[in-house]
Parts: sequence; structure tokens; C-alpha cells
Amino acid sequence: MLKDVLNAGSFSFEPAAHTEVRGQLNRSRRVTLLSGNIIGNARSDVSGVSARVWKNGVCGFSSMAEYDEEAAKQVLKAASENAVFMDSRVNYPRQTLPALSRAALPLERDISDPAQKAYIEYAKALDAYVAAHCPKLISRRIVATEDSMEKVLVTSDGMSAHTILPRSYCYVIMTAETPSGAPVELFKAFGGEGTFDVNFTDPTQYASQIDALYERLMQKSEGVYAEAGKKTVILDGFMTGMLSHEAVGHTVEADLVLGGSVAGHMLGKPVASELVTLTDFAHTAFGQRCPLPVFVDDEGTPAKDVPLIENGILTGYMNNRETAERFHMAPGGNARAWLFSDEPLIRMRNTAVHPGKDKLEDMIASVDDGYYLIDSSNGQADTTGEFMFGVTMGYEIKKGKLGKALLDTTISGVAFDMLKTVDMVSDTVVWASSGFCGKKQPMPVGMGGPALRCQVMIGGR
Amino acid sequence: MNGLKEIARRIISLAQAQGADCAQCTVRESTKEEFNMDGGRFSLMRTLFDRDVSITVLKGQRKGAVHINRFDDEAVQEAVGQCIAASESAAPDPNWEFDAEPKERSWVDGAPDCDREALFERTRELAKDVAERHPKIMIEQMINSHDRAHTVYLNSSGVSYERLSGAYGFDLMYSAHEGEKGSSFFGSGVILKTLDRPVIDCGAIERELKAVEQQIETKPMEGKFVGTAVLAPSALAEVVIGTILDNFVSDTSLIDGTSIWKDKLGEKVSDERLTVSFKPRSEAVVVGQRFTSEGYEARDFDLIKDGKLESFRLSQYGANKMGGVRAGNDSWNVVIPGGEKSLDEIIRGIDRGVFVMRFSGGEPASSGEFSGVAKNSFLIENGRITGALSETMISGCVPDMLNQIRDISRDVLEDGSMSVPYIAFDGITISGK
Repeated sequence: MLKDVLNAGSFSFEPAAHTEVRGQLNRSRRVTLLSGNIIGNARSDVSGVSARVWKNGVCGFSSMAEYDEEAAKQVLKAASENAVFMDSRVNYPRQTLPALSRAALPLERDISDPAQKAYIEYAKALDAYVAAHCPKLISRRIVATEDSMEKVLVTSDGMSAHTILPRSYCYVIMTAETPSGAPVELFKAFGGEGTFDVNFTDPTQYASQIDALYERLMQKSEGVYAEAGKKTVILDGFMTGMLSHEAVGHTVEADLVLGGSVAGHMLGKPVASELVTLTDFAHTAFGQRCPLPVFVDDEGTPAKDVPLIENGILTGYMNNRETAERFHMAPGGNARAWLFSDEPLIRMRNTAVHPGKDKLEDMIASVDDGYYLIDSSNGQADTTGEFMFGVTMGYEIKKGKLGKALLDTTISGVAFDMLKTVDMVSDTVVWASSGFCGKKQPMPVGMGGPALRCQVMIGGR
Repeated sequence: MNGLKEIARRIISLAQAQGADCAQCTVRESTKEEFNMDGGRFSLMRTLFDRDVSITVLKGQRKGAVHINRFDDEAVQEAVGQCIAASESAAPDPNWEFDAEPKERSWVDGAPDCDREALFERTRELAKDVAERHPKIMIEQMINSHDRAHTVYLNSSGVSYERLSGAYGFDLMYSAHEGEKGSSFFGSGVILKTLDRPVIDCGAIERELKAVEQQIETKPMEGKFVGTAVLAPSALAEVVIGTILDNFVSDTSLIDGTSIWKDKLGEKVSDERLTVSFKPRSEAVVVGQRFTSEGYEARDFDLIKDGKLESFRLSQYGANKMGGVRAGNDSWNVVIPGGEKSLDEIIRGIDRGVFVMRFSGGEPASSGEFSGVAKNSFLIENGRITGALSETMISGCVPDMLNQIRDISRDVLEDGSMSVPYIAFDGITISGK
């Protein structure tokens, strides 16, 4: 745990500037078993302190792999010098940012640090279960992992915060063969917010879900290729979450809007069906704690929900303090940094489409010829909103009933076109939080949503 | 420079005192100077001082690994203790091995010292050159930096390496715009040893900017056909080389038996015009790998030579496990020699196909089958590029593609980390709306 050694009163903040000083500890633990062999067994602790000084539209930043008051003063001095260097060279107009109110956010809780043995023993027990209950696999992999971000922040505006965000998962990755001998793979991540010892108490706790994963893989091993072309599909909640994040979320990050995102021309315009409402939630969504709650960002802005699409209309962007000023919006706490040595960037927190009123079974029954798409390996999108997701699990829908499982395929489309085709939205939200978003720095994010009926391009073979 | 060595010796000594049979550590001190532009404006200057300590021990054939970023003795002692504890919890595996042949090497690579003023001026010049030569280009983000590292590797068998290295890196993310119309974003980058010429003229930056400017007006392709895809170097590295490494020739796929090339060593796996090597010592590579994560001195090797699978890319662990031979390095410094035709000549010979600058696709299946969106791409018809594409997917199977190579260009992209040509593959499924 980090000690609260940063004291705003002891720092010489650069005049007419906004300054943050942040101490941070990132820890990660990871054990990997490949068909029973431990091929990875590693722990990492990375800590240090950084300072960022915003002055007339440019920033100076510096960091050091030490965490004490002296190191903080050294990086503050270097960051101030960098800000002055930049300011003197680029000569942007004099400007300031609206001040934030003074506030203190003490540490919510302490967290434990289980020994590596705990990860190994759990992974071995999980591996033994898979080996015993999934006889037709040609390969199996178990990854037991935890990562946490702990931050101590003080700002020249008077924010003082100490936060910690741990999350832990077990990945079960299974490989089987098609009748022709081609390998097919499926994986699932179990876990969520919290340390490993809290989330993983009993190696049989996920038995039924592992059985279901195996059953789906067996169906996939007998699967068929999707027929290429534009199709009516039901995207399950996990896929909707991916869509929310990759295809829409990134286009409405204000830094990407300034960089030329398609959303720059669409504020206040319809971008989706009236059934679609999308929010980047800070810490609480639909009456429950978010998968990865954020209470204050790394600029010292208290975190609040950011509405992005309301009943089909694009209503907002995610901002840091500077872009909020440029777009005349209020910052919502989206400026986040991954390591002590990283500067805050505009990042999503928990981005989700709101639930509708339809039942998933009715949605499937409504499709005459299409696909039910459940899981994705990865997703990418660009600032035009054109997206691509790898689909690792799905089924044909024929005359309202699920048919054969699908082999790996890909879907694509243009987000703001595709969202206009949404005509049914399920009443249940599914969240995912095990992944990292990549944007100069990695960042843990939550994403979710209900099932959607819509039209997309599917890759086929 | 001896401070790092003293820390490394202390770590090895502590590990041995706690019963480690073998121990290795890498101790690194690094500095980064970085200028950022966002939305076409200077936004940030960073100066980072970092440290890394990576420790691996083998105790009773059990392996543990720990990484920290502190050099103080208290942290080092705790890290060694945790590493020993981690190894004691692991299952024994006789295949772990580090280099056991004593040797001492030292290197100075690239440009260890940063010229900050020159880096700033080249950054400003690059932004100006892009604005003047390519007025439709909007730079979303530019991150230009100098990275310096002083690294010491030591193991308990007397292997000692020390390296001082540095290089300048330029990375641009951009798209082209006209009114409300815009292209997909594209990334260009280059790693340089010196700042002796304008950066826009290095690597493929100028060529890529020019191509993206022609992608504002796009049209979706109608229908579906099987044709030729010309993959630009970065798309080639991602789709073809990435799939080969991840699915066919590396430890994981060979140990778990999912590699479809597991019995192909010495056999033909591609068109005989193709050679794929990993050459961290190549002159095209600014700061190549000097030693592997298991402490072996890096050497260049051929993965595929004249179409034959010459080597797997096994670590020593993987080699011991599979009864194979360790590869010369585990870098990403891929070198593919160019062919005889120019890129223009290759395109002139294609009746119908696509020119793919970027691929956005799902993880390729273990079989090497893939599908995804052809981004920043053009339609080729009757030997000519006839327009930029949107919403066009390509799919294929990498092992099949390797045997359906139409042409390899003599134009080769050297970006400081790799040297790769354009390759045209037949038999690619190209589908539009």
C-alpha cells in the first residue's frame, strides 16, 4: 500500500498553471498453465511518482521510479520546466481552466496481496477440473491473474484523493478439433473487481459455466461458416458492450473528435435508432456498482456519468478539463493514466447501452434467417466509426430457432449507420471488464449492454 | 555504469543464498524524452526516469519470476524472497534452462544521447511538412521520443551482458479530411539513429500520407469475388508474419500440439521465392535484440528459406520440451528480401483485387484462417487502382496464401525495426455489401 506522503502544502506549484502530483503503485500477478504445465509464474510491482503541469494549453510531465516527497519535488520541478519550455516555444494564447472545487477522497478500503501459491493452487484445481470433465480437448490453458492500480493524487486546485482499483480473473481457454482436424478455440474470463482471494474461493464455483463453455466448443467443432453478406443478427450483451466501447465510445472521446473523428460533425444529430441510449458510467449503473468504478480521475475531477447517446441523438463527448473547456461541456472524470509514468488521457470507464423491453427469446424467434452472435475475441474501430469484431461463438438462426454453431468469423459495419438499424433491445444488461483498452496506454475498462437486433456485415469465409 | 552491475550481483547472490539452483536478472535504467502533438497542436513534453529489475530463479526445477522498478536493497531483498517463494509453489519442470556458458559482452547501440533541441525542431518541421505537402491530412496524434536505456544482464552461470542504447522514434496517427468527409485513420512510424534529414522523407511516411489523402472519397465494394490482395508491409507483418509466429512456430502452439506446421520442419511451406528471417543484427534495424529472455546471445536466423521451413521459433524451454532446437532470437526484427518487380509493375499485372494498407481483423484461427476489414485500401481493376474502398472484407488462410504468392515487390520498407516488401497473394476472398 502507498503511504499518504504527498502534501500539497509542501509543493511549489508553477504560477498560472494547473498541476497534479500523483504517486502510484501497479501490481500484477499472473500464473499460466498450458495443458497442466506451468509456463508462466510471475509477479510485478511498479511504483513511482509523476507530476503534470498544464500551462497555456501545453503540458509538462515528468516521472521517477521513487515514491517519496523528495522524488515528488524533483518531478514537479522537471515537469514545470518542461511546461515552460513548451509554452515559450509554441506561444499559444494565455489561458486558464475553470478551477475545480477543493475536495478530499480518502481510501475506500485496504486490499490483500495473496501469495503466488494461491494463484497456482487455484489454477491447478481449475485445470484438473477441465482435464477431467472436457475429454475431447486437444489443448487447455488456464490463466489466473490479478492487476490493481493504487493512486495518491494531490492537485493545485485542492483535490486530495487516495484510490485503489483491484480486479482479478481466471481465463479458461479450450482447443478442440473439427472432424477434418482443424483446431477450434473458445475462452471465457471469470471474475471481476476485487482481489484474487476474494473472487476465487472455491475451484468448483465456475464448474457449470466451464461445462457450458465446453458444450459450446463441442458444438463449434461441428460448426459451419457463416454466409458472407449483410444479415439480420442478434448481438448478445457482450457484443453490444464491445460495440459501445470500440465503435461508438472511441469516436466520442473529445481528443479523437479534435483529431478528426466522424462524431465531430454529429453532435445533436440522430446517430442511432430511438431505442438506443448509451452512457459512460462512472461508478454506479442501473442502481448497481459498476464493474470497474471510478470516483475521481487523475486531473482531480470528481467522476460522474457522461451521457453519449440519448434516444438515438448524439448528446455528448467524453472530456478532460482542457477539451471540456473547448467544447463548452463539463468534465466528467474521464482523464485516466495507467502507470505512474503515464499522463492522463481521455478514457472510458464503464460504457454501456441501456436495456430495453424485449426478451432475448422473442428477439431470436423474430429472425427468419440470421445469426445469434455471442462472444468476441477482439474488436477494432476507427474514427470514421467503421468497426470490426472477431466473432468466436455464435449460432445460425433459421425460422426463429437456433441452428448450427458458427466457426470463427468477423462482423463489420459503420457504427452510426448500423445503430440506426436497431429495432429490438433486450431487457438484460451483460457486463465485461477483463480486458484492456489500448490507446497509447492500456487501461482496464468496463463495457456492457443488452442484446440488440440489427443489421451487420458478416465475414463468412 | 557499475551501479547496475552491483545490484545485479547482489540479486544473484541473494537468490543463491536462498537455495536457487539458477538465477538470472536484468537491471535497467532508462530515460525518455517525448514531444506530443494532439489534433495538430503541441500538447505535451515528457521526461521520464525509470528503472526495471526482472528476476527469474530456478529451484528444484521450479521457476519463479518477479518484476519491480526499485533499486533499493530493501525492495531487492523482498523481490528475491518473493521470487523464491513463487518458484517453491510451482510444479517442477526439467525443461527450464538459462545460458550456462560463461561469457562477458558489452555493446553501445544506436544513439544513446538525446539531442532534445533537434528532436523538438524535427517534430515541428514534420508537422509543418505534413501541413504544406498534404493539406488534407489532419494529424490526430504525433508522439516523437528518444529512448535511452542502460541494461545489465547477469546469471548465476557467469553470463554477463551490458548494453547502452538509444534511438529516436516518430509515430503519427492521422486521417485525411475534406468538409465533413474523412478517411480512416492510419499510423506511420519510423525508428532513427540520427536526425540528419527531415523525418517525412524517412521510412514510408511520405508515401503513406499521399495514399491516405486519396482515401477521403471511398465506396463500398459490391458483391464478392476471389482475387488478389497486395498487402503493404505493415499489413503483411500483422496478417501473415503474426499468424505464423502466434499459431505455427512458437512455443505455445508447438507445445500444446495445435500448430499445423508441427511436422513440417525442413519441408516446403511456401512459394520458393519467399524467405523470412529474424535479423536483429541487420543494418536495417536501429536497436536490435542483443540477448534473449533466457540469456542467450541473439543471432540472426531464417525461419523460412526459399520456401522451406528452416527453423521453428522455439525458446530453450520450448526446444527442451519438444526435443527441438532453440531459435537464434525472439525479436520482431523481421527481414524479408524483396523480389524483382516494382509495386507499380505488380499492380499493373492484376485483373481484379485489392491493395491493403491496414487490416482490421479478428485473431486468426489456429488453422491460419482469418477474416477482417481491408482498411485504408484501394480496389484494383485491370491493372489500375480505381478507387478507395470502404466496408470491404477480406478472408483467407495463411498457409494457403503462402503457396499462392503472385509477386514480391523489390520496394522494401525499412522503418528501423523491420525490412519488409509488398507481397501480392492470389486466392483471397474479397467481399463487399
